[in-house]
Amino acid sequence: MPLLEVDRVSKRFGGLRAVSGASFSIGEKEIVFLVGPNGAGKTTLFNLITGFIHPDEGRIRFAGTDVTLITPNRAARLGIGRTFQIVKPLGSLTVLENVMLGAFLHTASRARAAHDAREVLAYLRMEAVAAATARDLPLAMLKRLEIARALATRPKLILLDEVVSGLSTAEAMALAALLQKLPERGVAAVGGVEHVMRVVVSIANRVVVLDHGAQIAEGEPHDVVRMPAVVEAYLGAKFRERHL
Amino acid sequence: MTAQAAVQAAINGLLTGGLYALVGMGLALIFGVMRIVNFAHGAFMMLGMYITFVAVGATGVSPYLMFPVAGLVMFVFGALVYYGLLSRLPAGADFMQILLTIGLSLICTDAVQLVFGADYHLLNTGLASTNLALGYGLSVNAPWVVSFAIAAAISVGLYLFVLRTMTGRAARAIAQTPAAAPLMGINVHRVQAISFAVGTAAAGVAGALLLPVFYLYPTVGDQFTEKAFVMVVLGGMGSIVGAATAGLVLGVVESLTSLYWGNQWALVVDFVLFVLVLSFKPGGIFGTERA
Amino acid sequence: MTRSHALAAAAFAGALLVPFVVRSDYTLQVLFRLFLFSALGLAWNLVGGYAGQLSLGHSAYFGAGAYGLALSTRLGLPAWPSVGVGILVAMLFALVIGGVSFRLRGPYFALATIACAEILRLSAKNLTGLTGGDVGAAVPALFSGQVVRSFYWSAVLLASLAAAATLAVTRSRFGYYLMAIREDEDTALSVGIDTAKTKLAALLISAALTAVAGSLYASLFLYIVPDQVFGLDISNEVAIVAMLGGVGTIAGPIVGALILETASELFKNVFLEAHLLIYGGLLVFVVLFLPDGIVGTIVRRRTLARRRAKPPRAPDHAAA
Repeated sequence: MPLLEVDRVSKRFGGLRAVSGASFSIGEKEIVFLVGPNGAGKTTLFNLITGFIHPDEGRIRFAGTDVTLITPNRAARLGIGRTFQIVKPLGSLTVLENVMLGAFLHTASRARAAHDAREVLAYLRMEAVAAATARDLPLAMLKRLEIARALATRPKLILLDEVVSGLSTAEAMALAALLQKLPERGVAAVGGVEHVMRVVVSIANRVVVLDHGAQIAEGEPHDVVRMPAVVEAYLGAKFRERHL
Repeated sequence: MTAQAAVQAAINGLLTGGLYALVGMGLALIFGVMRIVNFAHGAFMMLGMYITFVAVGATGVSPYLMFPVAGLVMFVFGALVYYGLLSRLPAGADFMQILLTIGLSLICTDAVQLVFGADYHLLNTGLASTNLALGYGLSVNAPWVVSFAIAAAISVGLYLFVLRTMTGRAARAIAQTPAAAPLMGINVHRVQAISFAVGTAAAGVAGALLLPVFYLYPTVGDQFTEKAFVMVVLGGMGSIVGAATAGLVLGVVESLTSLYWGNQWALVVDFVLFVLVLSFKPGGIFGTERA
Repeated sequence: MTRSHALAAAAFAGALLVPFVVRSDYTLQVLFRLFLFSALGLAWNLVGGYAGQLSLGHSAYFGAGAYGLALSTRLGLPAWPSVGVGILVAMLFALVIGGVSFRLRGPYFALATIACAEILRLSAKNLTGLTGGDVGAAVPALFSGQVVRSFYWSAVLLASLAAAATLAVTRSRFGYYLMAIREDEDTALSVGIDTAKTKLAALLISAALTAVAGSLYASLFLYIVPDQVFGLDISNEVAIVAMLGGVGTIAGPIVGALILETASELFKNVFLEAHLLIYGGLLVFVVLFLPDGIVGTIVRRRTLARRRAKPPRAPDHAAA
C-alpha cells in the first residue's frame, strides 16, 4: 500500500482550475518530485494534501487514512510535514526555538524538545545558527529552517515546496545531498520545483509532471526529462540545450 | 404600529443613511481600499462639524454653503496626519495604526472639549421646522432633505474620483497588489496621502452636513467611527459603492429598530449585523462591484 | 534567573508592606489602580502579546466580573462565591467571543472584539430589569474593616498571580504555541498546533483574570454603571498598558501600568481637563518613538549591544 495516494483530485478557484484530476502515489521512503512551471498547481496540491484547503473532487489517502477533508494541524499529527514556498519563519524566535516548535508535537518537555531540535539542526548542518533570531537569517538558511522545523515533527512524509528555488547552484546541490539522506531517517519526500532540474535528476526516485494542475507525465527523472512531449510542449524547446 | 409609521421611519432612515453613506465611503477609501486602520474617522467627522459651526458663526453664511470649507480644511488636515504620523509607521503595522489613531482621536476630542466645552450645541438653520408633505400622511424634514441631496452629490463625486482619476486608479492598484505598485511607477506615499486626505475630507463634509440636523458635542464622532467600520465591512472591503449602500441600509435598519424596539437598540443591531457578516459572509453583503 | 527571582520576591514583599508606610487612603487607592491595571495588562498580554491577537474588547470580561458579582449577590449568593460566578460568566463570554472572532485575522479580529464588547455594554444599558441600566447596580463589599488596605493587597495578589501565570506559560509548550501563532499562524498549523483551541485557552485564562479585576474594581466603588465597566475606555486602557510597557514580556505590563497610572494621576491633577489630550499624545509618542514599548525597547537595545560585543558566527560556515 502506498504511503500517500492522490486520487483524481481537482480544485477550482473561481473560474480557475488550479488542479484538475491529479493522481499519483508515493511509497514509503520514496523521493518524488512534482515538476511544472509556475501556476502548474504544485503549491495548490501541497495545500490540498496538508489540509490547508480541501478538494472539490477526488480523495486523498495517507497511510491508510482518508485525509481528504483533514485540518492542517491533524495532517501534521498524522505525519505529513511541510515547508512553505514563501518561507514562513517564526521571525522573532531563535532558530532553535523554531525547530523546537516542530519537536513539541511529540513532547511537552522543553528540554526534550530542545534536545530533539538540536539533533535535527545537526543533521541539516545548522548548529552554528541555532541561537540566531530567525528573521536575521539569509534565504538559504531560511529554506533549511523550513525543512528543519518540519522534520522535527518526525513526519512520515515531508512536502518540500520549492526548497531549492532562490538558492545558488552550490547551495542547492549541498541541500540536495542532505535531502537524499531523508529515506535513511524513514521519511518519504515530495518535492515541488520549477527549475533546478539537476537537483531533481540527482535525488528523485520518480518525477510527476504537471501542467495546469493535470498530470501529463510520470516516470524516472532521466526518462521524463527526455520525453519529447514533455520537453517540447511543456518545459520548452530550449530546455534540453540549456540543462542537459 | 401602522404601516404608515413604518414607511415614515424608513424614509427618515434613508435620509440619515445618506449621511452615514458619506462617512462610510470616506472610511472605505481609507480602510477598505488603502488598508489604513483609522480609529479617528469619527473624530475627523466631529472636527468637520465644529469647523462648520465656527465658520457659520463667524460669517453667518448657511452651513449648506460652508461644507466646502470643512472639506478643504479636513483635506489638508488628513494630508498632514498622513505625512506627519501614519507614513512613519512600517507598512502593515495594524497594531500601531490602531493605537496611533486612537491616540489621535483622544487628542482631537479633548482639544475640542477644551476650546468649546462639553456643552451640546444645535445650529438652527431656520429650516428645522419646515416639513415637506409627501402625501399619504408622509412627510420629510427639510434640512435632512437638503443634507441628503448634497451628500448624495458628493458621494457620486467620490465614486467618480476613485473610478476615473489617476489617483483613484493608482489607489486601487496599490490595494490589489501593494508590492507591485512601486514597480508600476506609482508613488505609493503620495497616493496613500491623497486617498487618506480625500477620505478625511469626506468625513469632514459629512460632519458639516450633519450639523443642521444633529446635536454637536465633542464626543459626537465616537459612535460614527464604529458605524463607519460596520459599513465598510457590510459593504465589502474595498468597495466604495458597497459602503454607501451599507450606509443607507444601516440608516433604515436603525430607524426601524428604533420604531419597533426603541432607540436604544439601534446601535446593538448595527453591531450584531457586523458580527454576523464578519462571521458568515466576510466578503460583505453589498460589495458586488470593486470600485 | 535566581537573581531575578530574588528581585521579584523582594518586590512582592515590598508591595505587601506598603500599607504600613503609606497611610493615605487616596494614595493607596491610586496604588490599587496601579496593581489592578498591572494585572489587567498581564492578563491581556497573554492574548494580545504572546498570541498576538489584538483584543480591543477586554471590557467584556471586566464587565462580566463586575456585573457577575453585583447580580449574583442580588440572587442571595455570598460575595466571594459571586466573584466565582463573574469568572464563569467571563469565561462563557470568552468562549463565544473567541469562537466568533478568532477566525478573523488582523484588524478584523480587533474590530470583532470591539463589536462584541459594545453589544454587551449596550445590552447592559438596555436590559434595565436585569442590570438596572444607566441607573446602575449596587455591588457588595468584599471586605469589611481595613477596606482600602484589603483592596490594595488583593490587587497586589492578583497582579502577582497574573505574573506567575505568565511566567508559567512562557516556560511551557503552551507558551511556545502562543508565540508560534503570533509569528505565523500557518506555520503553527503546519507543526500540528490546534491554533483555534490554543488561542481559546489563552483567552479563557485572560478572561478569568480580567473578571477578578472587574469584581475588585466594582466592589471598591460599591456601585457600577455599564459605561464604566463595559466601556471601550477600559478595553483601550488595558491594551495600552501592555503595549506601552512592551507586549510579550512579563515586566512590560507592570511598567506600562506604573507609567500610565502615574501619568494619568498627575495629568488629572495638573492638567485637569487636558488630561486626555496628554494621554493621547503619550500614545502617539510611544507608537512613533518606542514601537516595542518601554521594556521591549530596552531588551532590544541590550540584545543589539550584546551582539555588537560578540558577533555571531557567520551562518555561511554551516552551508555546504
